[in-house]
Amino acid sequence: MCPLLKTMKTHLLLIFFLLTASLITIAQDTAFNAEKNLSEVVVTANRSERKLGNVAVPVQVITQNTIRRTGSLRVQDILQEQTGLIIVNSSLGSALNGYPNPFGQGVQMMGLDPAYTLILLDGEPLIGRNGGILKLGRLATGNIKQIEIVKGPSSSLYGSEAMAGVINILTLPPQKENAEFQLQNATNNTWGTGFSYGNRFHKTGIQFFTNRYSSSGYDLDKTIYGKTMDPFRDWNGQLKITHDFSNKFQLLISTRMYDSKQKNDYQIIWQGNPAIAKGYTTEKDQSDFLQLRWQMKKNKKFYFRTFYDHYTNHSFVNLEKTTIQFDETSFNQSILKPEVQFESNRKKSRYVAGAGSYFEMIDASRYAGKRNLTTLYAFTQKEWNLNKDKITLIAGGRIDKRNDFAAKISPRIAVAFKPNSKWKFTASSGLGFKAPDFRHLYLSFYNSQVGYSLIGAKELSSQLQLLEQQGLLQPGANINPYLNNPDLKPETSFGSHVGATFNNKKWNGEVSMFRNDIHNLIDPFALSFSRSNGQAIFSYHNVNKVYTQGFSIDIKHLLMKFISLSAGYQFLDAKDKDVLRKIKEGVLYKRDLNTYATSLVKKSDYFGLFNRSRHTANFKINFNSSKTGWNVYARAIYRGKFGFADLNGNNIADDPAEMVKGYWMVNIAASKTFHENFTIQAGTENLLNYTNPVQLSNIPGRLFFINLNYSFVNNQHKNKNKEQ
Amino acid sequence: MKKSISIPVILVTLIFTACSKKDSTVATVTPTTVKTKSITVNFSSSASYTFFSFRDTTVVANADSASAKWDFGLRLTTFLVNSYASGPGNAGVILQDGIYDNVTAAPASGYAYDTTSSQRAIKEGSWYDYNPTTHSFVPKAGKVFIFRTADGHYAKMELLNVGYEPFTGPVPQRLIYTFRFTYQPNNKNTF
Repeated sequence: MCPLLKTMKTHLLLIFFLLTASLITIAQDTAFNAEKNLSEVVVTANRSERKLGNVAVPVQVITQNTIRRTGSLRVQDILQEQTGLIIVNSSLGSALNGYPNPFGQGVQMMGLDPAYTLILLDGEPLIGRNGGILKLGRLATGNIKQIEIVKGPSSSLYGSEAMAGVINILTLPPQKENAEFQLQNATNNTWGTGFSYGNRFHKTGIQFFTNRYSSSGYDLDKTIYGKTMDPFRDWNGQLKITHDFSNKFQLLISTRMYDSKQKNDYQIIWQGNPAIAKGYTTEKDQSDFLQLRWQMKKNKKFYFRTFYDHYTNHSFVNLEKTTIQFDETSFNQSILKPEVQFESNRKKSRYVAGAGSYFEMIDASRYAGKRNLTTLYAFTQKEWNLNKDKITLIAGGRIDKRNDFAAKISPRIAVAFKPNSKWKFTASSGLGFKAPDFRHLYLSFYNSQVGYSLIGAKELSSQLQLLEQQGLLQPGANINPYLNNPDLKPETSFGSHVGATFNNKKWNGEVSMFRNDIHNLIDPFALSFSRSNGQAIFSYHNVNKVYTQGFSIDIKHLLMKFISLSAGYQFLDAKDKDVLRKIKEGVLYKRDLNTYATSLVKKSDYFGLFNRSRHTANFKINFNSSKTGWNVYARAIYRGKFGFADLNGNNIADDPAEMVKGYWMVNIAASKTFHENFTIQAGTENLLNYTNPVQLSNIPGRLFFINLNYSFVNNQHKNKNKEQ
Repeated sequence: MKKSISIPVILVTLIFTACSKKDSTVATVTPTTVKTKSITVNFSSSASYTFFSFRDTTVVANADSASAKWDFGLRLTTFLVNSYASGPGNAGVILQDGIYDNVTAAPASGYAYDTTSSQRAIKEGSWYDYNPTTHSFVPKAGKVFIFRTADGHYAKMELLNVGYEPFTGPVPQRLIYTFRFTYQPNNKNTF
């Protein structure tokens, strides 16, 4: 800890020096482009456009400007700099001796795993979650207009998965003539190039974006064969077309594709001897979106939408220099989602309602055949503005009926009170849920290397009968208790928040307290008998009751015209109620890792759920001088101590040896714009060179990057269409 | 790993030396065996079990798998107890929650047996947690195995650690089980 702090101090001094130096070079007469927080329009919190200042649930907005200032080309790098958002590895598995971790990283929000945050792109879901995690690395930042983060159960508008909250990534709409070219080069032979073009011709607007991103990967442990991150290349592309048929009808067509190829190269055991397996993982995602907006009256409109998405993932490895296939998996998922939405905006009240269906198909090598799920849903929300708009009241709810479980109703109420232009107080409560996904229900996976089975709850009965017939169960295994395996129930949460925000010309502060109670968390369990090979059979059941609670504080301060500072902090307490009960009853033990002596766990020993940090914080400083074209953006992100894995025999995080120490990530980018159009940017990520090859293999060491950007916007075109 | 094992080994050796001095004054009583042992157990389901005898404090050869020379057998995480379906012995086991040192006597009854090959005395998953993040089998703390041995004596046993033997590639070959036990060689049920 001490040497780390010492280097930290040295580096911080260095940063301070750099910043002061750059400050001196900046002319004093520059205008600061303050973030016009309150008037910013957000769409995610209410599923329709609202000014951020009027929203009653906690919303964070990351603007295109902020994204540009970081220099990051990947969405996850941007998200992890936000208060309360933590990029975590899948709890399902990390790399073992260089064997790749196929799950990637996702966002932990309010202490909930990545599977419980709904991720939308332009309001529509992204699919292709593996083990509950949607690989955020596949999203490029080049065409993002803004990212909206809604915290708290949002199933009342969005249905399943929106248990912790919603992240909606909004891309640029076709508005005016613009063109942009981006080129990035970074450590590890990383190259990114992007091109975008948009224009309006009469009543038609187009916006096109393409991006290629590639890297040679990195290796954190040279003693293990294979790289920690294998080389890859990604392609992203999107085309949006809008057409105004009349003042009343507007059409939006959007098509998007993602294509990724990553090398697989690792050591295996082949017929008792070490051997090398090589191959590729290819991922493809193709989506199409069609929306017709009908402005029925001045304050009433309809949206008719259809969204189609097809995601495939294919992975194989062959024995090196042979054609012998060692492993192959494929995953094929598609959704079709037609939807109608109605909005009415009056002076005293606003109303939004909608209905739709969600057809989901999956066909994967790890599932027993093709599977379909159908969900029908409807939602409604009313918003009242009372007492001269000082009070906003929101009540809404959604019903989801999936073909395999009972209808789920998710209500939400929220209130905002604005006594004056500076203060806003908010409170909300809502139910969230996550339906059991395909893997929980239909997985039929046999690990040929180790020999264990993982069987989805719906498949358990038929698969056990099949295994019994084939003589693959332990002789005499009694499968009867599992033949009427109870159906998995949706995981549910009840969440509440109270918050306050303060705004004046120089200060912007936000405090929010939250509490979520989660029931019926789905967990794997081992059956009481094994396969004939002696290996365990696992399935899923509803068990845990957990809670997450805490508070977050965000403060922004405009120090001078061109310097802004910000700080954010989240305190999190996330615990399993069953564990607390066991501690209270005195039936939970721990083993001393040195003396092997056994003793009872005390309440103060229990750190909380794995992978959750009690303290996270961020500090940012931005120098912006639009006159000279200079911008320097330095960020320090802290993730506090968190539990990694059980070592002392009680399946909870309670021993110091089970913890990963807190760490800092320091990222700095500096840019200079010439002649309004041309920007050159250089920077570093992870300046302190923090690495942890075992527990945080997703963090490469220190990176340097340089970006070139040419951008052209023709502002003479009138912004005819504010809405997409 | 080696370092952490050596401390209890020394401790146990001290206790053992102390006990034998004290007990040597009574000629007719054989001293109790108090030991910490590490045994190597096959990971693969097609490989053989590792058999252990409390009395002999040692691994029993596979050739003797059909004899009453061993008390329990292990392969990956599957426990055999030398009785009925698993062997000709009279071994039985009680898996009891509690603190090892506080278990001072073995109950007279309530022992579970390997009645059939699917009704084993020690159930899969009853004594460990599999951690998918580290791929480790962590023995649950506070689980005391009280054995009646194949030859009708009593022993208490606690698993201290289950680790992988060093390996290359994605698949481990063998596990190392470390446990401590107290064996009562006399016709007594106290430890």
